[in-house]
Amino acid sequence: MDGFLADLQILAPGLGTALQLAGLSLALAYVLGLVLALLVDARQRVVRIAALVVIEVGRGLPLLVILYLVYRGLPQVGFYLDPMPAAVIAFTWSIGAYASEIMRSSLNAVPPGQREAAAALGLAPRSAYRDILLPQAARIAIPPLMNLAIKAFQLTSLAYTITLSEVMQAAYLRGSVTFEYLRTFVAAAVLYAAVAIVASLLVRRFERRLHRHL
Amino acid sequence: MFQYTGYILAGVVGTVAITVAAFLIGAVLGVPLAVASRSAYRVVRWPAISVIEVFRSVPNLVWLFLVFFGLPEVGIRLGPWATAIITLGVTSSAYLAEIYRGGFSGLGQGQWLASKALGLTTWDRGRYVLAPQLARVVSPTMATYAISLLKESALASTIGVVELTFRGGLVAQRTGDGLTTFVVVGLVYLVLSLPLAYTSRRVDSRLRAKFSVG
Amino acid sequence: MSGLDTREQAVESDAFLAASGVTMRFGDHVAVRDVTLGLARGQVVSIIGPSGAGKSTFLRCVNFLEIPTAGTIRVGGTSLTVGPGTRPREKDIQPLRRKLGMVFQNFNLFPHLTVLRNVSLAQERVLGRSPAEAEARSMSLLERVGLADKASAYPGRCSGGQQQRVAIARALALDPAVMLFDEPTSALDPEVGAEVLAVMKELAGEGMTMLVVTHEMAFARDVSDRIVVMVDGAVVEAGEPHKVMSDPEHPRTRGFLSAVLGR
Repeated sequence: MDGFLADLQILAPGLGTALQLAGLSLALAYVLGLVLALLVDARQRVVRIAALVVIEVGRGLPLLVILYLVYRGLPQVGFYLDPMPAAVIAFTWSIGAYASEIMRSSLNAVPPGQREAAAALGLAPRSAYRDILLPQAARIAIPPLMNLAIKAFQLTSLAYTITLSEVMQAAYLRGSVTFEYLRTFVAAAVLYAAVAIVASLLVRRFERRLHRHL
Repeated sequence: MFQYTGYILAGVVGTVAITVAAFLIGAVLGVPLAVASRSAYRVVRWPAISVIEVFRSVPNLVWLFLVFFGLPEVGIRLGPWATAIITLGVTSSAYLAEIYRGGFSGLGQGQWLASKALGLTTWDRGRYVLAPQLARVVSPTMATYAISLLKESALASTIGVVELTFRGGLVAQRTGDGLTTFVVVGLVYLVLSLPLAYTSRRVDSRLRAKFSVG
Repeated sequence: MSGLDTREQAVESDAFLAASGVTMRFGDHVAVRDVTLGLARGQVVSIIGPSGAGKSTFLRCVNFLEIPTAGTIRVGGTSLTVGPGTRPREKDIQPLRRKLGMVFQNFNLFPHLTVLRNVSLAQERVLGRSPAEAEARSMSLLERVGLADKASAYPGRCSGGQQQRVAIARALALDPAVMLFDEPTSALDPEVGAEVLAVMKELAGEGMTMLVVTHEMAFARDVSDRIVVMVDGAVVEAGEPHKVMSDPEHPRTRGFLSAVLGR
């Protein structure tokens, strides 16, 4: 048991790194997602297709492959990145792609009557978007985006493959020292589970409060 | 580079094999799990819900490591392939159970009431009335999950399964050309997910046209 | 008081369907209060009353779709009693359910099966009839409700009135002793509802024992042998239609009828 607690202590800093990675990537990913979601409806065909490609590739590739591409592939064209920046770029792309899908479908989920009502009232498109559509779309999008955030946190475990020193890396190292792999990885699992479960409960409570006002 | 393309492509077999095997295991195991999670008896319901929650809260990578490096300590020594298939299969059962649960609540009470009133046994109710309708409702979501499982299979490379990503990694090391290699690997994943996305969309629209709930 | 009449009838052993002392409690809310009701063979009884009076809940207690908190249901020779603390198993409920057919407000047809299969399924699975037998019986019932030509259609392609008639056929296919109707026309437009009421009227004319929860006052008055008025979960009045509807005794009945009939 003491060994287990010691494991948790050793893994804790890794948790900090993981949260850092997740937080940074998410912030950038949400922005990227919004941009992509809007670009997909752009007037110029080239822009539309480019946005679509970025989204489909970001969603279609395993995150692991994107990580390798960025960390082991980019140096060939001159971009030598440290593990953390590489991880942030890879995560931003992948998660941003999912985020853009969530935002797009949320926008489409706003009842069409809203758009019609706004037009009938004579609201200019920009105002209609800003005051009527986006707020409602945001309300629909927030819960799935929050769940995406939890998923992003869990995905940080992959960053170990590009030598980023987070939980998995720490666990593996510790395991090779103590030879108590089972205990160490259980400790890692407990850490992830604890964060994920607590976060899920908070999201669910937030969802319920959101529904109350609808 | 091109001399290695064949080697990389050979990885498709492994990737697809893992995906299909894990999906089948998950689809089957997910059923009792989902049913148990809706049981009227707390003794059955709580463990089932906890299992689903825990399996989904811990990232797949951690589970893989736990099983591969940790279980040998208690005498369970699984090879990389078996680990990958069984672990991903078991976690899939939790994700799919959650999908099945979503389908249940979408079904509504009426069907249950009517089949009960007619005197159909629990088994008949499930087989003839509830399951067929459930299957139609959850199919699209299951297809989406299958695609994400395809990408998750890349994780198996971290415990030494010689599938698509692993082969890509080897080639990248050999040739020093990470960029091209992983672009190729990425393209293969994209191509693999296309048929699944296409069939799921066709099946979905066909089912919708066939029977629209009056 | 009229309530006593029904109670006496229920105690009489020649009541074909007898519900005694049925109470249904959801937490603190008592939806059905000690309702006792008896039907003789071939009788048609309509239950009317304001929304939320517990009529549908009571009906669902009769075939144990809701397990009542207390009460006894008897159909012919089969009976089942429930008390606080006892929870009957499916096996115990089955014999009673075999004798009861139910038609729902929302039809609840199986959307993934054709009309014919909807009517045949339970015959095969519950009564063990052969597919050929079941199909023949289904077709004859569908003819009876005027929908033989819709046999291979899916419910989604049928109108509400047609769906409800199929639902009636589906319930009749099991040869129940008593038919329970839970607001069968409430989800239908008036003209379409008329088709369904016509079928129900025919059924009554053929001697089927029927317990109908309805808002259709015309049906209640013209087709029923007795009307029962439920308010707040209890029976406040019962008797022959023309008496109850033109000269009710209970003040709540008066209030309800005047609101509904505009008198």
